Amino acid sequence: MKRLKRAAAALMAMAMVVGMASCGGFGKKDEQKTETVKTADGKEVEVKVFSAFFAVPGNKVDDGNVVQNKIAEKIGAKCEMEWLTGQTAEEAIGVMIAGDEYPDFVDASSGMKSMVDAGAFIAIDDYWDDYPNIKNFYTDAEWNSIRAEDGHVYIIPQFGKTWEKDTTCVHNDEAFWIQTRVLKWANYPKIETLDEYFDLIERYIEANPKMPDGTPNIGYEILCDDWRYFCLENAPFFLDGYPNDGCCIVDRETHQAIDYNTTDTAKRYFKKLNEEYKKGIVDPETFTMKYDAYISKLSTGRVCGMVDQHWDFNDAELAIKANGKLDDCTYVPVGITIDKGVEEHWHTNPALDVSNGIGITKSCKDIEGAMQFMNDLLDPEILTLRNWGIEGVNYNKDENGIFTRTDEMRNNANDQTYINKNLCPYAYFPNYSNGMDHDGKNGCDANHQATEFYESLNDEIKECFDAYGVKTYVEMLNEAPENEAWYPMWSYSNALTTETDEGMVWTEMATVKHEYLPQVCIAEDFDAAWDKYLSEYKKRCDVDGTLLPAFNKEIQRRIDVAAGK
Amino acid sequence: MFKDPDFAKKLRNQKSLLLLSIPFVLYVLVFNYAPLFGWIMAFQKYKPRDGFIHSQFIGIENFKLLFRGNEFLYCVRNTLAMGVINLVLGTICPIVFAILLSEFRFNIGKKFVQTISYLPHFLSMIILTGIVFDVLSMENGMLNNFLIGIGVIDKPIQWLAESKYFWWIVGFANRWKETGWDSIIYLAAITSINPDLYEAASIDGAGRLSRIWHITLPGLKPTILILLIMNVGNVLNVGFELQYLLGNDLVKSVAETIDIYVLNYGISKSNYSLGVAAGIFKSVVSIILVFIANTSAKAMGEESLY
Repeated sequence: MKRLKRAAAALMAMAMVVGMASCGGFGKKDEQKTETVKTADGKEVEVKVFSAFFAVPGNKVDDGNVVQNKIAEKIGAKCEMEWLTGQTAEEAIGVMIAGDEYPDFVDASSGMKSMVDAGAFIAIDDYWDDYPNIKNFYTDAEWNSIRAEDGHVYIIPQFGKTWEKDTTCVHNDEAFWIQTRVLKWANYPKIETLDEYFDLIERYIEANPKMPDGTPNIGYEILCDDWRYFCLENAPFFLDGYPNDGCCIVDRETHQAIDYNTTDTAKRYFKKLNEEYKKGIVDPETFTMKYDAYISKLSTGRVCGMVDQHWDFNDAELAIKANGKLDDCTYVPVGITIDKGVEEHWHTNPALDVSNGIGITKSCKDIEGAMQFMNDLLDPEILTLRNWGIEGVNYNKDENGIFTRTDEMRNNANDQTYINKNLCPYAYFPNYSNGMDHDGKNGCDANHQATEFYESLNDEIKECFDAYGVKTYVEMLNEAPENEAWYPMWSYSNALTTETDEGMVWTEMATVKHEYLPQVCIAEDFDAAWDKYLSEYKKRCDVDGTLLPAFNKEIQRRIDVAAGK
Repeated sequence: MFKDPDFAKKLRNQKSLLLLSIPFVLYVLVFNYAPLFGWIMAFQKYKPRDGFIHSQFIGIENFKLLFRGNEFLYCVRNTLAMGVINLVLGTICPIVFAILLSEFRFNIGKKFVQTISYLPHFLSMIILTGIVFDVLSMENGMLNNFLIGIGVIDKPIQWLAESKYFWWIVGFANRWKETGWDSIIYLAAITSINPDLYEAASIDGAGRLSRIWHITLPGLKPTILILLIMNVGNVLNVGFELQYLLGNDLVKSVAETIDIYVLNYGISKSNYSLGVAAGIFKSVVSIILVFIANTSAKAMGEESLY
């Protein structure tokens, strides 16, 4: 009996401790977290520590990251950043909203609308008068297009802002990618159409079934995991020569939206995928693969080609580069279309995407401090630290003020472990991510500095570029014309929710496509599968009656805004 | 009630037991009963900004919406199917395994097998799916290699791309993980069977099989029934991790469960009301299932839960 009593007491005590510990967590809520950082000369300074969550995959920087501490030392604040892992953006954001507790900064990605609806963001325009770098980051007209329905600015889109002129050397967007070894084997032919692209891969695989180390080559991968299924589904509008409006084709003359899912080009594209699947060129496991499996397959260098956004497989390419033996396995974009004579439009100029951005949440205890932090990150000196690193360590400055890098510095910049430990671009905070450095001499980072960029490439890529007479990835594709007023339409479709009719159609459309497109690709009888898909698509999604009119209205609205109406 | 002297005495006598149970009662109250308040969302057009109080009441609209398309019905079907597979395999496998183990004469070997067999229980689902992916892979996957090796198939099968295999893959993956762990309770029950019975039976000339049939199994019957009743209530709780992680667009129509539906609509699409409605539906069906199982057990004159 006595023993029982003691056990009971112990249990109660434990319950109390647990209870108190969790209450303790709630208790000290209103103080901004701080931390001491050791400066280069050994002094210790106390800096504010903010927290941020970005609903996109990313690499967490190590504790004590060198550049992060250097910036903290200069501006008196740092930010601990968490990224999306193993969830979709909507799930992660949904959980946060349900719990009503947020980190100081959030980029909700496709959950942005829900965050604003839940009242989770504070209005930035109530505070920005004291923070000129933020207020002047966009023009008034641009801010107006960012404002939510209630007229407030809740988010700052971080990307697409150019300082002086666009100088990008990389095509960070979507393309049909192909390994340089495939092009080299065929003596750098000009690839213009979908048929030529697959024909080349077929011939290459036939002649080279295996890698030098004996693992079989894979002709083509289609990533089809959750929202990343754009790698499967959105190529048709590119093949027709339209830019990445994401949700539709916009006719340049009539300004009417066209559904790209049901065009002849779409049918021909999927028929091609179906043929290649049956021939074994497409990886048979492609539709059961998750994103991480895809990245690990790409990282082995076995995969000859795929459609993807460059930022989506950048990790795999870094791994290929770091391997050392796979220099001929990195990818270059080829600007292909469905038929010869169609003008391709894969590369576009940076555009303001009003559907994504970073906001300060209502859980932030020091809003002024958070604004100051973002403001300071846009300081010219800090921008150089973020985008280039530390002078003498990550880049050198010659007598004319031009930045150069040694081979070691270049290798470091491609080494994920080194990056995590040393570099901290605060990538999802506002940044002049295109164009020039504020010194007016250099590009805003190494990828925007043409001379430095070409020198930093490995010999295989240089050889490939020389064969095509280009110096950068961007030049592999057509030069991008001026963006149209309505571009990009995906910033509209991304913000659709199931509360509107067009949002319901948009959701249902994704459901149908997710379900049927993979089946269309692997079907024994393509035509039957395609017809089944189309009939289901037409039955379940009122695209013509509901979705396209909504798109048309938005296109017209954007044209009017641009014309100053 | 407290005037009843017997009751007061009982209360005094079992004071420490009552004290012991407090944390668990609290646990159930806080984590299982308090959240029921949220069910109110199912009858509202709930918006986080408006809260429970100011959200608009819309009656049973959400439930109507739930059954409008086929999607939810598919989820119910899949949940039931995988739940039943789980229930059947999850009852038979541990019992058979426990009996086999208890018949093991070589004691060290027995301990060894038992320990190894419940190790997978401690793996997280994500590791388990990694193993399943490897085993079923088309490139050097164990299963395909084995089947080709013994000549059953001549080219690798893409297990995870075909709907007809999916439920069974989930079922057997669960079994691989849990059989060892689940058998512990049966092993304990077997140990509590009076050894005299076995002795008497063997004197009467009963062989191994008839001893299992006439002594071990009847001895296990109460345990089996209680666990069965409890598991029937859990049929719909097939979880979502395995299905969510193993599923892909090709098998979506057989892989989505009610829980995935709730996650998808409630959290991802922030339609909390619809998600809650689906959750309520699931709870109601579960209660009915337990009730049926319990009543039929009672009717057969067997052990029952209440």
